[in-house]
Amino acid sequence: MDEIARVRRRLKGMYMKKTSARISQVAFLLLFLALFVQTEYRGHDEINAAVNAFFRADPLVLVSYLLASKSWTWLLLPAVLMVVATLILGRFFCGWICPLGTVLDLLTPKKRRRLPIRALKGNLKYWLLLPIMSASLFNLNLSGLLDPIAILLRGLTFFLYPLLGLSAREGWVSLYRLIGEKRDAIAPAYDFLHTYLLPFRDTFYPLAAFSALVLLGIIALEYFEERNWCRNLCPLGTLLGWLGRFSLFKRIPPGLCGDCGKCRELCPTTFDQDILVKEECILCMECQLHCPHQRISFRPTARPKIAGPLLPERRLLLGGMATGLLLAIPARFRLPEKESRLLRPPGVLEEEDFLNKCVRCGECMKVCLKNALYPAAWQAGMEGLYTPLVIPRLGYCEYNCTLCGQVCPTGAIPKLSTDVKRRQVIGKAVLDKNHCLPFARKTDCIVCEEHCPIPSKAIRSRETEVMGLDGVRKTVKEPYVVEEICNGCGICENVCPLETKAGIEVFAVKNRAPIAVETGGAAENASGLGY
Amino acid sequence: MDRRSFLKMAGAASVLAPSLLKDALAAKEPSLVAVAEGKDYAAITRKAINAVGGMKHFVKAGDVVVVKPNMGWDRSTDLAANTHPLVVRAVVEECLAAGAKMVKVFDYTCNDARRCYVNSGIEGALKGLKNVACKQIEPERFKKVTLNGQFLKEWDLYDEALSADVYINVPIAKHHGLSKLTLGLKNVMGIMGGNRGYIHRNIDVALADVNSHVKSHLTVIDATRILTAHGPQGGNKADVKVLNKVIASTDIVAADAFATTLFGLKPSDIPITVAAHKRGLGEIDLGRIKVVRV
Repeated sequence: MDEIARVRRRLKGMYMKKTSARISQVAFLLLFLALFVQTEYRGHDEINAAVNAFFRADPLVLVSYLLASKSWTWLLLPAVLMVVATLILGRFFCGWICPLGTVLDLLTPKKRRRLPIRALKGNLKYWLLLPIMSASLFNLNLSGLLDPIAILLRGLTFFLYPLLGLSAREGWVSLYRLIGEKRDAIAPAYDFLHTYLLPFRDTFYPLAAFSALVLLGIIALEYFEERNWCRNLCPLGTLLGWLGRFSLFKRIPPGLCGDCGKCRELCPTTFDQDILVKEECILCMECQLHCPHQRISFRPTARPKIAGPLLPERRLLLGGMATGLLLAIPARFRLPEKESRLLRPPGVLEEEDFLNKCVRCGECMKVCLKNALYPAAWQAGMEGLYTPLVIPRLGYCEYNCTLCGQVCPTGAIPKLSTDVKRRQVIGKAVLDKNHCLPFARKTDCIVCEEHCPIPSKAIRSRETEVMGLDGVRKTVKEPYVVEEICNGCGICENVCPLETKAGIEVFAVKNRAPIAVETGGAAENASGLGY
Repeated sequence: MDRRSFLKMAGAASVLAPSLLKDALAAKEPSLVAVAEGKDYAAITRKAINAVGGMKHFVKAGDVVVVKPNMGWDRSTDLAANTHPLVVRAVVEECLAAGAKMVKVFDYTCNDARRCYVNSGIEGALKGLKNVACKQIEPERFKKVTLNGQFLKEWDLYDEALSADVYINVPIAKHHGLSKLTLGLKNVMGIMGGNRGYIHRNIDVALADVNSHVKSHLTVIDATRILTAHGPQGGNKADVKVLNKVIASTDIVAADAFATTLFGLKPSDIPITVAAHKRGLGEIDLGRIKVVRV
């Protein structure tokens, strides 16, 4: 309760002040949450606005993408604009837009604390940013792991949102247990929530606890110092800060006044020394607003002076580069037995290229219609942490759905038309005759064939005379896979009626060339009735 | 016959008539199957229903009615994997006109429920109708029901289908990989919960078990277009044949038996129909089925 009261007080404080920066912060946080909820199938094949907008405008994503993939994508044009805006205005993103920053501002104790953790000070932030950059250059794109928006989104997607959905659902179900069909009286209200706010179905994700803990850890750091993460760790903030050094605006006066010094108290991010460090200033304008003497202004200057050296010291630069390279090597290790089930979202053709482009933001997993996508814990090695994997036994790739490609901010999962997407190969289905009922138990089944979405059926069956387990001869329909037209969507494995292990499973393949366009129709094979 | 004996007989007949008539209907009156043909699918649906007695015969004022189409697949109407939305809407409208308090339309889908409801066209076709609920299945509503059948001793069935006053079965006539065809008898799978794939190992008997418990008061088979191969979900227009027919009957087995002939098959070719007939759920012999074409 205390917590809530504090947040409310804090919110009230923010609204009371109603400075442009505060209004902008709240607006962007609401936008972020609205887009998050919007990143879901809501009756239309296309999602017009998704939370990927934040990543597409994220300079850290941009830089690591460029370094790792060594190619350009127009999807990231907004991030280029953000770079330009930062070069002109400074590090305003952190004080005006960043949703994680706003969350921190909302949760920070009202009374400012100054208990800086020594270990976090100094060059640590560069020791995070530089290795990420250099590892990207060596084809290990880990920026998403420490990107603040990705951290927030993963905490929401894997932990908080499922928790919300689960609680609502549990409540709704218990109501049914209590009053049965009478519950229908208030069904419209629940339906409304379920349609517009809650997740469609309950999903448990791997790494849910870890994702929540990272987010909580960042919030906990606020106990020691306001915006502790932002000023001392955040690689996006560090990058923006470095860009912001070139900004055309400067604060006047540049340091604390001899007779006052209130700025140190007001400022959430800088004034560790007596001077405002430009790369730490997030342009929140608190000092200007609350200066008892109205002395402070931010003014454009024709020839901005850049304080300090342009690059971090050479030792740091080289050390950071080397660390990135050294990281890039051990991160490559993968257990070979995991590879066989390493199924990537539809349209991903090449593992290496995918890893270079994937932000690990979790949006594809959030939007996945049948909850087929889950974050890799260790299946894809360290380099694949949080990358999306299809786990067919939990959910299959819906034949006509193209949502993951639509929301991917970098095109790591390409945006494809329904026609093209249907032919993308995720893997190939393989029967396990030791489990599959017609082979192992000599009974009919064919649930896999029934569900196979390929119009001419990638799973077919033939009637075979077999010796039943009771010694009596009988005919059963034995399934077989037509590999050339199997797209590995996994519905067969998903619906296989065997308990636990399925009798048919999708395995990864190297050659993910799309299956050929269907040529004929019913005539080309005889599994129908002969029309 | 003199006047006296005639009066005696008439008197006796009037006493015995109701029971005699009932016997005659049950034993000798052939099952009635109405087949309506035409390009206006709503109109032929109404015609077929009227030819088997009209909706008022089944739905009384204040009834809660379940209309159970087949909308299990994320396929558009022209691909003949789901019941035609116009047929469903016509059935629902007839129920409302007959005084139904509430008409519930649902199916336990195979593909994502949201996509199936949207892309089958059924959710859209029912939009705006008052006292109609086209809603998705909620897992908690499945109830374990004792069937004491030959294959299924008990199974999870959907509470709203069980508690409805009237249950109207509105399947589409389709090819099916395992059971050759899927018609009215197989359409009840849409109210079954649990591991439905399990029943595939003895599907004929299992479906007779369920149909013995959940009786379809009226079966309306959509044969406006039928899926002739790669069922039950198809996906290729080359597999679709337009027939412009709607079939209605109170006898689900007779309706299925007749629909089988549309595929050039005999009713006895379909094990599900055979098993249901053996269970006494209806007539399979086309010779004993009265087909009315309207």
